[in-house]
Amino acid sequence: MKTSFISTASMSQALRYQMMRLQSELVQSQNEATTSRLSDPGAVLGARAGTTFSMARDIERLEGLVDANSMAASRLAATQDGLEQLHGLGEKLLTTLTTAPNMEAPQTIAEEARRSLETMTGILNTSVNGEHLFAGINTDTKPINDFTDPASANKQGFDTLFQSHFGFTQTDPAAAGITAAEMNAFLDEVETYFMGSGWDDWSNASDRKITSRITLNETSETSITANEAGIRRIAMTAAVLTDLMKVPLSENARTALYERGTQFVGQAIADVAHIQSEVGLAEQRVSDASERISSQVDLFKTMITDLEGVDPYEAATKVNELLTQIETSYALTARIQQLSLLRYLP
Amino acid sequence: MSLTSALNIAQSALFNASRQTNIVSRNVAEASNPDYTRRAGVLSSTAPGARISEIRRATDDALFKQNLSALSSWQGQSRISQGLDRLRLEVNGTDNATSPASALGKLQTALQNYAAAPSNRTLAETAVEAARGMVRSLNNGTEAVQSFRTELDADIATSVGELNELLAQFEAANTEVIRGTRAGRDVSDALDRRDALLKKISGYVPVSTISRADNDLVVTTADGTTLFETVPRAITFARTDAFAPGMTGNAVYIDGVPLASGTGGNTTASGSLAASLQLRDQVAVDMQRQLDETARGLITAFAESDPAGTGADMAGLFTWNGGPGLPASGALVDGLAGRIGINANVDAAAGGDPERLRDGIVYDHNPDDAASFSDLLDSYIAGLDEPMVFDPAASLGTTKSLNAFTSESIGWLEGLRKEASGGAQAKEALAMHTATALSNATGVNIDEEMALLLELERSYEASAKLMSVVDEMLSQLMQVAR
Repeated sequence: MKTSFISTASMSQALRYQMMRLQSELVQSQNEATTSRLSDPGAVLGARAGTTFSMARDIERLEGLVDANSMAASRLAATQDGLEQLHGLGEKLLTTLTTAPNMEAPQTIAEEARRSLETMTGILNTSVNGEHLFAGINTDTKPINDFTDPASANKQGFDTLFQSHFGFTQTDPAAAGITAAEMNAFLDEVETYFMGSGWDDWSNASDRKITSRITLNETSETSITANEAGIRRIAMTAAVLTDLMKVPLSENARTALYERGTQFVGQAIADVAHIQSEVGLAEQRVSDASERISSQVDLFKTMITDLEGVDPYEAATKVNELLTQIETSYALTARIQQLSLLRYLP
Repeated sequence: MSLTSALNIAQSALFNASRQTNIVSRNVAEASNPDYTRRAGVLSSTAPGARISEIRRATDDALFKQNLSALSSWQGQSRISQGLDRLRLEVNGTDNATSPASALGKLQTALQNYAAAPSNRTLAETAVEAARGMVRSLNNGTEAVQSFRTELDADIATSVGELNELLAQFEAANTEVIRGTRAGRDVSDALDRRDALLKKISGYVPVSTISRADNDLVVTTADGTTLFETVPRAITFARTDAFAPGMTGNAVYIDGVPLASGTGGNTTASGSLAASLQLRDQVAVDMQRQLDETARGLITAFAESDPAGTGADMAGLFTWNGGPGLPASGALVDGLAGRIGINANVDAAAGGDPERLRDGIVYDHNPDDAASFSDLLDSYIAGLDEPMVFDPAASLGTTKSLNAFTSESIGWLEGLRKEASGGAQAKEALAMHTATALSNATGVNIDEEMALLLELERSYEASAKLMSVVDEMLSQLMQVAR
């Protein structure tokens, strides 16, 4: 009568099975201790593995957005810088014009106006990374034509305007007979020309500003275009002064020109300031978005670590435990294998 | 004549001892054979003396049956686990690196970068390259899933052949058992062989047994289809040489009845055949459908509409062999993931212009050719996050964004794997446990056999001593008589 019975095969089988299980666990824990991440997240997380994957993918996209945002931010900063210079240019012109009636050197004013025009053209044609800042979405073309080039469309457009209004060219001596009222009438027409379809002779910029994706689901305009009213007015003042100061005008007509020029440039300065504040807002939006993205990335990373992460100390402790267990198991195996009645039989 | 009878009894004791030693030595020799059951000689007294009346096998029917069913479940479960691991590795890659979901993420990042600087041609090329990666992931996934199904089918065919062979061997063993039992011979060896065959058979299909007269055995599957009754029943299967998406494989027929496949990650499949059928007909098919729906989602998300509002929507960046129109909305197209491709008009390798990705491929969305036109690109990026309708046949729900669909596809597979690995652990433990219990009930303990041998040695010595004593007594008697 036997109360308990164990077979020799099952004894060694059990040892082998335990050993195998311990060793496979050891490999896992080792992996977890070194990577601080579950060795097979899918098998532990199950359906939630899809969530961690989608978060990891979003992190990649978000980090791409941060890079794109810094590009947009540098574009906006350069734009802001350009606008600042335009603003300065306007104020300088204003100073010149307000002191002009007391000065007896129209040539100086003409010179000043021409420099302003050139600087303005230079600023508006600035390009960063091969993209023209003030071109709207039409970034591969220079937004402003060169007024000092007699062959360019804007110069010719202006000449035609003068010719058709007065019936003679700017160099014609008859220009001396232009009265203040006539000058004002012409300048009204010039304003309509610049603020309306005539600007097409000047600008190759698109009316559409560059839109950028600043967060995963938000887009924002991150550029301006040379077609803004402020820029048109500055260009108009500089162009009118440059061109008409060369014309042999009467004193009255010239005074009228100064007055209107002062008026134009004053308005232009206000308009440019307005654009500047718009750009400032866009800059703010982009930097806010970048900040939001970084905190979103941090949050996602924390959530992924919560799900997939492993405490390295815990894993290391587990490795040690397993090692001890395996060693004990080895020792036991060796002893159990020696445990045989055969050794005691003669 | 009691001295002579004492001599006779001692003689039979010697005979019994040597016969028992024979049994002990056989037991020791087979101690490590898991299919061997311990034998013991049963002594019964016959006046005068005793003899070995039968050789008894240590059996435990209940444990044996438990072990058989545990083996079946474990085999089925481990087949499912292996299959899922393989699908994951071949379709989704290590850490899902080659999965459609991660290719989609890369495509989206590339589009984002391009949309941030649409005048940069290199970024356009990168975006097209990412789109190519997306197509490659879907094409390769389809190929992997279909070759997996083909291999499973071949494996089922091999298993069916082996099963038929095992049943033929079973018939031989069973016949031997019946004949031996009728003739009163010791049939222990044949019984062992028959049990070993049953264990092997239960690896393929779950078995249950019914004993009949003369140790005859009827074997049925767990749900009652006859596998063996006097003669083996035919198991038939027609192999399919190559699988394509949407194709249905043939069933395995046991005695004319189709074998049911398992369901679920912690599968109901017992035995490797049902598990292989489950992988071939459910898991791999669902996986393929998810790939196909991903492909359809892509074609739809990148479809181009006419800015003038007159033309029909056309396949844009991603095309298919049914193009240039779009596949029907909300309906699965079998094998679409294998047929999706990049529009040649943006593929620089095929003479296309990558920048048309920005300007529109079918319709011109950027008539002024503005270099920083990003509206179309932005609409693509936004489109991937917008909900669309998926076919419920892909078993991932119907209304969600393509992004969510692809990551849920990963969740679906990992969910199955989790269930499977949990089930595999439990089922392996049960199989090991029942095997140990069975071995303890029916196996050999060498120490016990050695102790038995000592006893036998003593009894042999005593019997021999008895004989010599009787001999001495008889010879003394003879001397007196002389």
